[in-house]
Amino acid sequence: MRRSLILAGLTVLGVPGVALAAEGAGTGGGWIGPFAVIAAGLGMAIASGLCGLGQGRAVAAAVEAMGRQPGAAARIQTAMIIGLALIESLAIYMLVIGIILLFVQPIK
Amino acid sequence: MEIIEQPPVFRLPGIPDQVTYTWLLLVILTGIAFVVSRRVELVPRTSQNVVELVLLQFQGLIDDVIGPEGRAYLPLIATLGLFILSGNLIGLVPGLAGPTANLNTTAACALVVFCAYHYIGIRRHGPLTYLRHFMGPVPWWLKGPMFVIEMISHLARPLSLTLRLFGNMLGGHILLAIMFFLMGLDGLIGWALSGGATGIILGGLGGALMAAFTIGFIYPLKLLVSFLQAFIFVMLTMLYISGAIEGHGEEHGFEHD
Repeated sequence: MRRSLILAGLTVLGVPGVALAAEGAGTGGGWIGPFAVIAAGLGMAIASGLCGLGQGRAVAAAVEAMGRQPGAAARIQTAMIIGLALIESLAIYMLVIGIILLFVQPIK
Repeated sequence: MEIIEQPPVFRLPGIPDQVTYTWLLLVILTGIAFVVSRRVELVPRTSQNVVELVLLQFQGLIDDVIGPEGRAYLPLIATLGLFILSGNLIGLVPGLAGPTANLNTTAACALVVFCAYHYIGIRRHGPLTYLRHFMGPVPWWLKGPMFVIEMISHLARPLSLTLRLFGNMLGGHILLAIMFFLMGLDGLIGWALSGGATGIILGGLGGALMAAFTIGFIYPLKLLVSFLQAFIFVMLTMLYISGAIEGHGEEHGFEHD
């Protein structure tokens, strides 16, 4: 199981390089481009997954607090939304980096 | 970005799309404000009622976050909020472009906020006292590092304001563009129209499902995100102004990032 996972990972990471090496450098495309696509996808996956974990903890705590003190629900909700925005901005940074890697391609 | 996103239908030659649509928004918002404020009455009628309702929301938020002395900054905050909200919403209309999905517009808004709250803080406390607030209530040997850290934190604020709004809007637009591309004439509907039993059954079914998903789920989600991002931008602006008014030492609630 683990060996096959490692093998699959190596294949995914290695294939673009091998394919490009077979194509030859004469076609003009650099070898970073395909890896940039993989990096954008993997990075977005990691960022959004961990961001979801963090937001889940924040919402759980806020809902618990609202259940204990329904009178303070409005203030807690405001604080929760601001906190969620700050957590989410970390994933948004990764989204911007992914968009830059995919569409702007500063490093060929 | 022209690879996947269609350009908007109405473009002025030689002028970037976001500037065109910012001007459109300016005309709309100024027109509404002009028409409504031409005849202000003590007992408001319909149009004045709606605008007063919207502005009272902003006023309530300001009272909650900054306190009564924040009412002087209602024009700044409400203008920013209304511009960003209408910019987000106009991006949802097919065929138009949202100015807030462009880095230049959001950076301009964030820079206005950055300059405004420092100006307010300096006006309130005087330059030297305001600078001393950056060092925080710490022992003298910590004041140097504290100053550097606060400086970095303050410089990161416009960056995070910019990127949050821009990333949310552009991410949503790219998602919508990909959805429409997948179900459009190059995708499932094109497959259904190309003849052939498999294409008609699978393509038609998939296209209908995807259209229902896009219109029923992603559009309402984008609507929610539009309101939420405008709210968050305004909220953070108010928190920064409130921090500048009170001095930085006391309140460190949401100041980081």
